[in-house]
Amino acid sequence: MAGAATAVTFLSTAARRARADGDIGYTAKDLSDQQLLQMYTTMVRIRWHERMMVDKMLTVQGYRGYNHFYAGQEAVAVGVMSTLNNTGRPDELDYVLSTHRATGHALAKGMDMKKMAAEIDMRATGVNLGYAGSMHLSDPSIGFIGADGIVGPGGAVGAGAAFGIRAKGTRQVVVAFGGDGHFATPHFHSALNNAALLKLPFIYVIENNLYHQYAHYSYSTPMKDIAAAAATYRIPGVMVDGQDVLAVFNVAKVAVERARAGEGPTLIEAKTYRYYGHSGPAGAKPGQLGAFGYDPLAITSFRPEREVKNWMARDPIDIFRRTLVNWAVLDEAKAAEIETKAKQEVVEAFQFADASPVCEPQEGLKHVFLKGQVPARQLA
Amino acid sequence: MAKKSWMYAQLEAVQYEMRRDKSMVWLFELTAPAASFPDLPVINLEKEFGRTRVCNTGIDEMWYAAAALGSGLVGVRAVAYIPYQGNTMVFELIQEHVGKLHYMTGGAATMPIVLILEESGQRPGYAGQHSDYEIDSYYMHVPGVKTVIPSTPSDAKGLLVAAMHDPDPVMYINPAGLRPLVEDVPDEQFEVPIGKAAIRTTGKDITIVGSGASMPEVLAAAERLQKDGVSVEAIDLRSLKPMDVETLANSVQKTRRLLTVDQTYYTLCPGAEVIASVAAEVSPAKFKRIAFPDAPPPASPEMFNWMRPNDTRVYEAAKKLLAA
Repeated sequence: MAGAATAVTFLSTAARRARADGDIGYTAKDLSDQQLLQMYTTMVRIRWHERMMVDKMLTVQGYRGYNHFYAGQEAVAVGVMSTLNNTGRPDELDYVLSTHRATGHALAKGMDMKKMAAEIDMRATGVNLGYAGSMHLSDPSIGFIGADGIVGPGGAVGAGAAFGIRAKGTRQVVVAFGGDGHFATPHFHSALNNAALLKLPFIYVIENNLYHQYAHYSYSTPMKDIAAAAATYRIPGVMVDGQDVLAVFNVAKVAVERARAGEGPTLIEAKTYRYYGHSGPAGAKPGQLGAFGYDPLAITSFRPEREVKNWMARDPIDIFRRTLVNWAVLDEAKAAEIETKAKQEVVEAFQFADASPVCEPQEGLKHVFLKGQVPARQLA
Repeated sequence: MAKKSWMYAQLEAVQYEMRRDKSMVWLFELTAPAASFPDLPVINLEKEFGRTRVCNTGIDEMWYAAAALGSGLVGVRAVAYIPYQGNTMVFELIQEHVGKLHYMTGGAATMPIVLILEESGQRPGYAGQHSDYEIDSYYMHVPGVKTVIPSTPSDAKGLLVAAMHDPDPVMYINPAGLRPLVEDVPDEQFEVPIGKAAIRTTGKDITIVGSGASMPEVLAAAERLQKDGVSVEAIDLRSLKPMDVETLANSVQKTRRLLTVDQTYYTLCPGAEVIASVAAEVSPAKFKRIAFPDAPPPASPEMFNWMRPNDTRVYEAAKKLLAA
């Protein structure tokens, strides 16, 4: 029980005891081997996408992609998304709103890695035709409403999507992800207040990775645990170890079932950490996981190397792998095979992007509205 | 006088004011209130004046503007630096409070405040939201606020000093894309008067008007045109409201041709106001304006760069207008 043994856990005493006894005592234990392996595989795919993209940004001259890297937080995206409907008809799919740190959420929701890589490289073959870059990735066919470069609105818009679903009368739910920075925004209050008042099928997942952009969250939040805010709105507020995918799965599952049953919203705070800086690969070295040292962009706080290393010692993929090996769902050989395949997939995704055509300049006048195009006003 | 960066010139002006006025506050979110430049003393407002007066909290632009406004209402001079990712968040306060309170209270409420509204600089590749916010004309449209926009480090200082000294609220648009500029900036506190445009090159064949991030493009195009033997009068608006219609009209009276250049969206860009104001004063004259199309900025650099009114577009537009 690698996860439970080292985790700062926020589960009930009964659940903690059950887990220590080798029976985790809640819904994750009912997952099939296939589901568990799929979750593990997705985490590994996200990790290697991020790592190899960091390396590409550091080593490939002229590469145009950039990203806010998700490495370190994989258990949150995968734990939550594994409780949702990620395929199906538009009236069956569950919806997700992401943040500027979107690639982990996108892959966990089911975005095609090739099309995502092409979009991040702003190619015509990208999932959003080169208009989005990494900050506006979107794919409604998998229920991924999308990324957002602005901090805060996603929560309120997510609650709005849940309002729409309630009007439709389906059993769909909406998850909005946000970082610890969301707490300070007016949208945070609006989202939870209205979702609570209207009992909307809404789950707000705050990934508290300790830093909003370049400032420690203590600059923006008066309490240690953002989940405590839920009490104000008379809704459940749950803290979870964001490095433990099964723990995340369990709390998300409960929240999703509540939402589907019409019992209203839940606020989940996942305690987690990002292995890289706010944006881009500053401080990272090719082939090495994580970014260390002074970040020239860090204005208010910069992350002590001890802190980064301490969190990396509780790596979500290592924790999950040890659990799955203990459960005999996985052995080290199979784990290595998953890793090799994931790396190969990333290589192929980047190859697809590299070989893809860039956008035609004039296309920039299209898609302002559903039909037609706007005039080229830069030309006399 | 010494060479200074954009940011250094600005913070030097703020430091001077804050040393004189012991209650003046500076609010910031992401842009550190610190600047250094070779051979000049490091400026760090947060260290020098402490966090009671120089403060950041969360990603909550509404708060920074509200804190400045509230401070102003109780007689504390305040400047808030609103980063480009969030400056529309403060628009409600500008529209409903900052611009109206003095008037609505029959002159009772005063707000000696400056909101520095950062523009992204339209970096290619950062897509819709982070290449955007070239939204100068939003502010000039609001009654009760003055709107200025510098295009050089020296004007960045002089306009900021004028804005801080102004008893009315000033929206100070900061084109972040110009922050790498360095030039000689006076050490002493000086004002660039609000409401006065700058004639950057004098000429008799065509008037080209821009502001902020457009100016480097306008000046590069003017240089090319001068080489072709065209005499260009290039004017930097500096103040969008009040607008220096006198300088503009005098110029077009001479050249009879007016081209405006804006990095913002075409519809209702500052150039539209320039042309409308000049057309009411000068006749006959020929007019043209170029601007970013009425589309959000796309991520793809191929699309984005093609859509920008860069120096080549300015040059081509001027040639067309001269031939007309």
